[in-house]
Amino acid sequence: MNVIQAVKLYITKMTEESGPGMKVILMDKDTTSIVSMVFSQSEILQKEVYLFERIDSHSKWDNMKHMKCIVFLRPTSENISLLCRELRYPKYGVYFIYFSNVISKADIKTLAECDEQETVREVQEVFADYLAVDRHLFSFNIAGCLHGRSWNQHHLQRCAQGILALLLSVKRRAVVRYEAASEPCARLAERVRDLLRREAVLIDNNIPFNGEIPTPQLLIIDRRDDPVTPLLSQWTYQAMVHELLTINNNRVSLAHLPEVHKDFKEVVLSSEQDEFYAKNLYSNFGEIGQTMKSLMDEFQKKAKSHQKVESIADMKHFVEQYPLFKKMSGTVTKHVTVVGELSACVTRHNLLEVSELEQEIACQSDHSKHLQRLKNLLSNAAVRHHDAAKLVGLYALRYEKHASNALPSLIEALKNRGVSEQLIKSVINLLEYGGAHARQSDLFGLQDAVKITKRLFKGLNGVENIYTQHTPLLKDTLEDLIKGKLRENLYPTMGGDDGAYGRRPQDIFVFIVGGATYEEALCVHQINQTYSGVRIVLGGTTVHNSTSFFEEVKAAMQGVHRTHTRHIRNV
Amino acid sequence: MAATNDEEILEGFLCPICKADLKSASQLTSHFESLHQEEQDVLKSLKEIFGKAKKIILNNDDTDLKETFDRALKFSYQESYYLNEEQTVGVCRSTTDYLKAVRGARLERYATETNKLLIRLDKLVCNMPTEPNQRKLHEQEVVPWLDGSSVKLCPNCAKAFNLTRRKHHCRLCGSILCHDCSLFLDIDIARAVVDPSAPHASNQPEQEITEKNGLRLCEHCFNLIELRKQVQDTRNAKTVLMTAYEQMRSLMDQARPAVAMYEKMCQSLFDGETTYNLTDVNAMRGRIGKLAEGIDLLSKQIATFPTDPGTRQARLQNSIRQAAAHYIKEDLLSLRKLPTEAQIEEVRRQRYERAERQIKMERERMEKQRDRMEELAGPSVSRVNNDDDDDNPLLEQMNIIRGYIKEARKELKFEEVAILEANLKELKKEYQLQKLSSKS
Repeated sequence: MNVIQAVKLYITKMTEESGPGMKVILMDKDTTSIVSMVFSQSEILQKEVYLFERIDSHSKWDNMKHMKCIVFLRPTSENISLLCRELRYPKYGVYFIYFSNVISKADIKTLAECDEQETVREVQEVFADYLAVDRHLFSFNIAGCLHGRSWNQHHLQRCAQGILALLLSVKRRAVVRYEAASEPCARLAERVRDLLRREAVLIDNNIPFNGEIPTPQLLIIDRRDDPVTPLLSQWTYQAMVHELLTINNNRVSLAHLPEVHKDFKEVVLSSEQDEFYAKNLYSNFGEIGQTMKSLMDEFQKKAKSHQKVESIADMKHFVEQYPLFKKMSGTVTKHVTVVGELSACVTRHNLLEVSELEQEIACQSDHSKHLQRLKNLLSNAAVRHHDAAKLVGLYALRYEKHASNALPSLIEALKNRGVSEQLIKSVINLLEYGGAHARQSDLFGLQDAVKITKRLFKGLNGVENIYTQHTPLLKDTLEDLIKGKLRENLYPTMGGDDGAYGRRPQDIFVFIVGGATYEEALCVHQINQTYSGVRIVLGGTTVHNSTSFFEEVKAAMQGVHRTHTRHIRNV
Repeated sequence: MAATNDEEILEGFLCPICKADLKSASQLTSHFESLHQEEQDVLKSLKEIFGKAKKIILNNDDTDLKETFDRALKFSYQESYYLNEEQTVGVCRSTTDYLKAVRGARLERYATETNKLLIRLDKLVCNMPTEPNQRKLHEQEVVPWLDGSSVKLCPNCAKAFNLTRRKHHCRLCGSILCHDCSLFLDIDIARAVVDPSAPHASNQPEQEITEKNGLRLCEHCFNLIELRKQVQDTRNAKTVLMTAYEQMRSLMDQARPAVAMYEKMCQSLFDGETTYNLTDVNAMRGRIGKLAEGIDLLSKQIATFPTDPGTRQARLQNSIRQAAAHYIKEDLLSLRKLPTEAQIEEVRRQRYERAERQIKMERERMEKQRDRMEELAGPSVSRVNNDDDDDNPLLEQMNIIRGYIKEARKELKFEEVAILEANLKELKKEYQLQKLSSKS
């Protein structure tokens, strides 16, 4: 169940089926992202694909009859009509058409009618209809999937189709479970079930039923149940880069940095193409600093020995090692630039202090101390407004029902700091979005006796690393699921309990409506390693950092009246 | 005593292979080296030990650099749970058949009509008289023209015919239309459509096609013929670019097995085997270099074909060049470094030492065995027949094969060399057996 591999296999299949010859690949905006997540341009070039064209581009018509065209599109109605236009006046010799999802017969008929020159050789459905971020992480890159707490219909359809494609691409049947308290989860679960039913024949023909292993489960949960995780500062490499620099389709823009080398205006961080990144994406910031340093030292030693190129022999020697040298130097320089910027951010904005308080608010319970420290930080000019708002948001969620809750005064403090109206509003939004009324689970472990004692013990023993105390709620949910203890009344099965409850699933797909985070991806990675035989794939409408999460919350709360925060009058 | 006689022989410096007594250690060494080079392979089992030695000998920075890099990646990204599943390509569904069925039914109509038009076109253009009046007659003979007396308006643009807007006929279907609605098909093109195999002078300076050098057609017929022409063009499209590209790809196809062969030969050298020698491997390297050069040249040529900058064609040519450069850099130029003569000598010497030790052991063992044999069987006459029988067919065969090997080397067919060498070894073994049996 490696989702990157699944997409790669599909694309390789496409390039191979068209046989040898010069090829062009014709894509839309979505499929371009899908392909670019798993293949670098040079890899694709080696498959004889030399041109990348967008179906919606309006460039001049050229006669390119000597080329084979691989068409890879999502089956939307706009794409169909654009493709019809292309087929009526074909630029290329032959067309191999692949749709990333189920396509209707009516659409095929339309295409057939436009293909007067008989250039179409192949029409297929392949199910590479999601962005494979990591081997166990996928996303649809939808920011703001909910609008006023209910689905944007277009996004609902996209997610359901994407999940169907995911199951087909890794050849798994699955029972669908969802978070009962969440309306959007129920809607999505229904939609997925409908799609699965509609494609029952395709599934029966291609995915043999295996009675020996428990049926894989698809679990659909709501971000509202855990609004804390996306707010926390992260200290593992990948998550940290996303929080501070933002990863978009495996790409990080460094263009805003002064004096950045022109090669690094935008860097690609892909675990498939960058070995260093693959091995260090879950290392924490301290570890990675050390690794970088030793790598730099060795590298400089090597580089120095290369500088004395005096004789022809030296030169020859240098050229012979050149590819590896160049490759290594590129990787090292890239990561040094990124890590350098991260560490500058950390010192510039007091992130260590901020993160420490964040973790303590999320994991411990000491209202007066937290409030005091929070007030101190709010008066510290080095702390970014965004981090200040995050902290107040965390406080608001954590001590929502606390007797001496001081949110209004904190909001006053934010105002005095000069924090924008917009940002202050997002604190209130956050409380409306993910406050106690919206959560089904016991996020802070306040009710469960076991959890309270756990917390107590943790407090007594001291914590290993104050910056990484927090574990996402997802971990508990998944462990319950693996042990067969996830309660059926809270997470019902679509179409009734068919005895899957109590059986311990090995293959699990979790989808978070409202977006996943890299912290959760790390957590899934750890569970995959800890529990042998268990394979979990995590997905979300998008992959959040705190900034995008505020946007998500804003979209979800648009037009919703305040019902639970009316007592806060100073906003 | 016969026994002592026998002992005397067995105690000498015996070659473990042909059992000849060489009298002194140095003689045995030279004998072994000169005659039984190939037999050293008996010791193939010791290969692993040399594998280790090889690493030390190799000692090039390349591996160092790699190690540094690997060390830097010490936090291993555990992949075990991904590996226990052989992932195959996911579910696919083909709807090609449906598309073809729909398209087929629809295009059949056009196809019959196009064919009808093509037959007429054929009749029209072959033996077409040049003289206008005769041509008109000829045209009317092939396609009966519609009687225009009752047609008052052009059926296409619905404008009335009059003195300035005269009636015309489509030469393929015979229908009536006005001049503005007529389209002209170049007769040369028409000829090409009818008979694609005929050589046709294309790329004439663009001149306006008029009644004189073209056929007057209605829009409908013109489109059908045009469509047919495009299909034909696609089928026959073979430009300079295509040829160059195909050449380049064929070179790449040759390079792939060559690189694999080179790696194999290199490994064999490092292992101290004697199947290939350094010149062989260098020649192979040279050949790969030549292929790389060829690919480089062709791709540069492709990149410089004249096109307008910014067009798809220009981008295509650039991409091909880029891909070729990348391929050469990654696959053809990053070949393993060859060992130097001295390094090879070193490996071979070590190998030889092993062989020597083996020989010694063998000899001691043999001695003991003989002793025991002697004791059991008592005196027996046994003399090693030292003079070679030159007309042994096996020897002849071996010489022939040696010749072949030489030739194959010259032509850089190293796969063949390896096979022949193996054959030669077999023969030698056979020859020894024969000798041994004749001895006893």
